[in-house]
Amino acid sequence: MITEREFLQRARLDRRTLTVWIEEEWLIPNSTANELAFTDMDLARANLIHDLKEKMGVNDEGLGVVLHLLDQMHALRRALAAALESARDRPPSPGALTS
Amino acid sequence: MKDPYETLGVAKTATADEIRSAYRKLAKKLHPDLNPGDKQAEERFKEVSVANDLLSDPEKRRRFDTGEIDASGAEKAPLNARYYRDYAAEGGHPYEGNSAYGDFAQGDDLFAELLRRSAEQARRRPGADLYYELPIDFLDAVNGATKTITLPQGGTLNVTIPPGVEDGQTLRLRGKGAPSPGEGPPGDALVQINVRPHRYFTREGADILLDLPISVKEAALGAEVRTPTTTGSVMLKIPKRSNTGDILRLRGKGVKTRGGAGDELVKLKVMMPTEAEPELDAFLADWKPAGTYDPRKEM
Repeated sequence: MITEREFLQRARLDRRTLTVWIEEEWLIPNSTANELAFTDMDLARANLIHDLKEKMGVNDEGLGVVLHLLDQMHALRRALAAALESARDRPPSPGALTS
Repeated sequence: MKDPYETLGVAKTATADEIRSAYRKLAKKLHPDLNPGDKQAEERFKEVSVANDLLSDPEKRRRFDTGEIDASGAEKAPLNARYYRDYAAEGGHPYEGNSAYGDFAQGDDLFAELLRRSAEQARRRPGADLYYELPIDFLDAVNGATKTITLPQGGTLNVTIPPGVEDGQTLRLRGKGAPSPGEGPPGDALVQINVRPHRYFTREGADILLDLPISVKEAALGAEVRTPTTTGSVMLKIPKRSNTGDILRLRGKGVKTRGGAGDELVKLKVMMPTEAEPELDAFLADWKPAGTYDPRKEM
């Protein structure tokens, strides 16, 4: 777990920007009783947001859409991987995946 | 490479003055020219110097704090060693949502079942393990103790240290790690024990080693001498005509192990009086050894 102070420093963010990102649900930190706790995943996501904004010129409106689509893509990839793995383990039964 | 803040013994929030004064203090203690022949001091001095170089330069310190360079001052090759996709590829995190395959998962065909199973697995994923370091005193390591760690994210953690724990050993506290992102069990806390050296005890496996200074009279005539052990003092019988380097064994006074206990090995060290002793001088001047006493016979 990463504290808010450490996160701001490592993600190169100021507190106001962080608040906006959380409101927009670009970041979803764990909140304990009185403060926020971040994971390495949150940090990687913050770096992705920096890259999208600064290196690729994605504007604020577009960013939410990009993140949402990315997350859907990851979920689908995971689902597909699970399906393929399971299909490999089972004897082939024609039509099972196409009905 | 150790954390430079730890090396200098200062907080991450230390001011430039605090860092300078911590460095000076250590440098005075560890400078190799002030510790000739102490290899360890030289190593420590180097570490302290590297840590000071890093932390005394505001720009380098900033870059270390943000993770751009490591404790030796070298660039960290890939700044973001892990990309977002490396985390997103595994399930069970707050960003996954389920809008992407909600319509598939409602059916009752094989694909829907697989999706449900994978979501279920992700939800049951345990929390991450968290790592801590706990410095403890030598005697606590030998005798066991209960310590409380104050966690950086708030809260505390009670650690029961079993007797005989060794330096560098890691204790696993089940269920004391990070909570699961879903509904799985929490991870474990892994506590690495760092044992601080003792003023006069050292340890070798299950045995405790002690250098015990004795007087010339005690060495020559034998005596009973109060001797520290890790569980309190005992009276140790020094035989007549003991020598520097003789080792006396206190059975069972070592580290407790599963099968019993080690011993305490007391190495005698004969000390000449530090003040003038005219009577002793006079006696020795007249003394004619009865036997063929020659301390350098073997040379």
